Amino acid sequence: MTTQDIIRALNETFELKAEVLHGNQIRVSMHKKQVAPVLLYLKNQWGFIHLDHVSCVDWIEENVFELVYIVYRPQDQLTVLVKTKIHREHPEMENMEGFWPHMRTYQREIREMFGIEFPGFEAPREFILEGWEEIPPMRRDFDTRGYVKRTYTTRPGREDAWSVREYITRRTGEKLPDFARKYSRD
Amino acid sequence: MTGNWLIELTGIVLTALLAFTVGMFYGGLRRKVIARAQNRVGPPVYQNFLDLLKLQGKTTNVTHGLMTHLAPVWVLVAAITALLFIPVLHGGLWFPNFTFKGDLIFLLYLMVMGSLGMALGVGETGNPNGAIGVSRGLSLITGYEIPFVLSLVAIMIQFHTTSLTDLMHYQQATGHWIARENPFAFLAALFSVLGMFHYSPFDIIGAPAELASGPMSEFGGKYLGSLMTGGSIFAFVKLVLITDLFLGGAGHPDAYTGAAGVLLGLVELVIKTFLLYMIPVSIGIVMPRFRTEQAVRFFWRWPLLFGALGIIWAVFWK
Amino acid sequence: MSETKDIRIITRPTKEQIRQAQIDFAPRCTAAGRVNDKETQKMVQYILNFARKHSLFLLAYGTGCGAIEIPATLTSRYDAERLGIRGAATPRQADVLMITGYLSTKTLKRVIRVYEQMQDPKYVVAFGSCTINGGMYFDSYNTIKALDRYIPVDVYIAGCMPRPEAVLKGFAKLQELIQNGNAGNGECYRKNLDWYRANQQKVIKNWDFPDEYNW
Repeated sequence: MTTQDIIRALNETFELKAEVLHGNQIRVSMHKKQVAPVLLYLKNQWGFIHLDHVSCVDWIEENVFELVYIVYRPQDQLTVLVKTKIHREHPEMENMEGFWPHMRTYQREIREMFGIEFPGFEAPREFILEGWEEIPPMRRDFDTRGYVKRTYTTRPGREDAWSVREYITRRTGEKLPDFARKYSRD
Repeated sequence: MTGNWLIELTGIVLTALLAFTVGMFYGGLRRKVIARAQNRVGPPVYQNFLDLLKLQGKTTNVTHGLMTHLAPVWVLVAAITALLFIPVLHGGLWFPNFTFKGDLIFLLYLMVMGSLGMALGVGETGNPNGAIGVSRGLSLITGYEIPFVLSLVAIMIQFHTTSLTDLMHYQQATGHWIARENPFAFLAALFSVLGMFHYSPFDIIGAPAELASGPMSEFGGKYLGSLMTGGSIFAFVKLVLITDLFLGGAGHPDAYTGAAGVLLGLVELVIKTFLLYMIPVSIGIVMPRFRTEQAVRFFWRWPLLFGALGIIWAVFWK
Repeated sequence: MSETKDIRIITRPTKEQIRQAQIDFAPRCTAAGRVNDKETQKMVQYILNFARKHSLFLLAYGTGCGAIEIPATLTSRYDAERLGIRGAATPRQADVLMITGYLSTKTLKRVIRVYEQMQDPKYVVAFGSCTINGGMYFDSYNTIKALDRYIPVDVYIAGCMPRPEAVLKGFAKLQELIQNGNAGNGECYRKNLDWYRANQQKVIKNWDFPDEYNW
């Protein structure tokens, strides 16, 4: 019953279409301006006091980043996935470090690994990487293999480091799908 | 003791060599005992000698200045000087000592000299771990020195002397150990010995996990070797001091004479000091580490009470 | 099915080719460090090497995944202390720098500082496949692929992960090298510092080492 209550409440308050993903998981997508009010509403009105995770996905085909905020209610193990999409050009998201203390960590990681800016977020810029000069490494248009070949020296004799995807298709005689060929790193 | 300076000099060298050998072997035995308690085979007993040889065989040594050079030497010199004022064997010609009236009070000062020299050397390296270790060490000294001084004062009151040899003479003449004459003073001194050895649970100074071995963290190679040597000699000094004070000392000038007498006295000394040494070692095996304030508070409770009781005993049950 | 044959045929190189490739790859301090001159002072060096080989103070640099194997090696089950191997708390006291698992460029900087603070003779044991050829991180943007480009390595222990038995075997090999006077490359590292510094600066972008500091 409670999942239905939450879905109805989200629909009535914000006019959002939420759906049940699994038994106790609710998924709801929205515009990026609505994320902060929805998270606050869930935290204060419905008792989702814990932020599980903030993850970022690079949908390079649609030219968007997808941010997923996962909040959790400990009483009945209920989870809500709050999703939003932002443009890859000049990506910006609202700074929400005051909502949960550990939001800082996730925001620092996303800013460093995907290059998403949070205006007003004043944490140090370097988090995991040191002296990084390329584009953020978790973006899919970052050429990892090329960077590795440019920067590091591999020991001779390591000839088995070829593309696994290509190896499997050639061994089984199967045709490489178009999307795989298009975004293959080789 | 005698007029012949050649014999005295030979005796001094012999004493230092004896203290070094016995101290190093005790360190190896401690490692072996701990290993056996943890169901391991453990290193060989002579492992500390190999460590020392390797440390002295290092080809480079980084230094931070004059006091860094001097600190290990200071520790070594303080240990050997303290050794010279302690009668290793009672009344023996071969192990002389510069005893005089009031050497017990002098020894009290001499025993913290090594720590002070170490503190100066560590201060020059500028390592924060070392500075924390030194401050912890000085706090610990304020802890265990008070019961130790109380127990010594109790003995001084009881026997009206401040000379170590006089106390040994008394024990030899009457056949009564001071541990029996004033058990509370003995207990207080035993507790202080736990603190003096810096073994667990009082290893707050050189705690490897939290302080990266504390004051020693910047000393490598030959410096570490010298510190190890000084520590071994000093361990022997502490053990012999407690044995002389409370357990009757070793050697009996009237009973045995000549080389056989010296040998028998040494055997007696090794047995007594080894049994005494096993007290801090075996406590260290089973106890985890105290925090600094817990360690100081420990010494200011029961050991302090025993020290005070020792003084009362000395005054009223004389 | 005919395509299965021509995937990529690896011809097995000869021993001579492997040796030449190794020399081309890391020509500096691979074969033998010259800690001591064995011809002069033969007896002294024999005794010193005997002591060195039986007293190894180990500094385990465990930021990779292999750090969990070291406690097992040192404690009751495998008891490395009976061979004279014990943990050291600081680089100044240590003889062996053991690098467990992969090294990111961020940790490589710390490893170099630690290595340079150790006192001669010093040995490096590289542990796990990642230190040899990158292991499963062969195409990671942030981990180095071969450790001996950056600091000289005495013994490699292959495996992912090497078990404590393999670690002890590696130490036995190191002891053999020490007894023969072939381990310890600190002198060689200082001599070829320019080559190593060039490799290090290629990877470490924000280079802030002091030009001259006390070793």
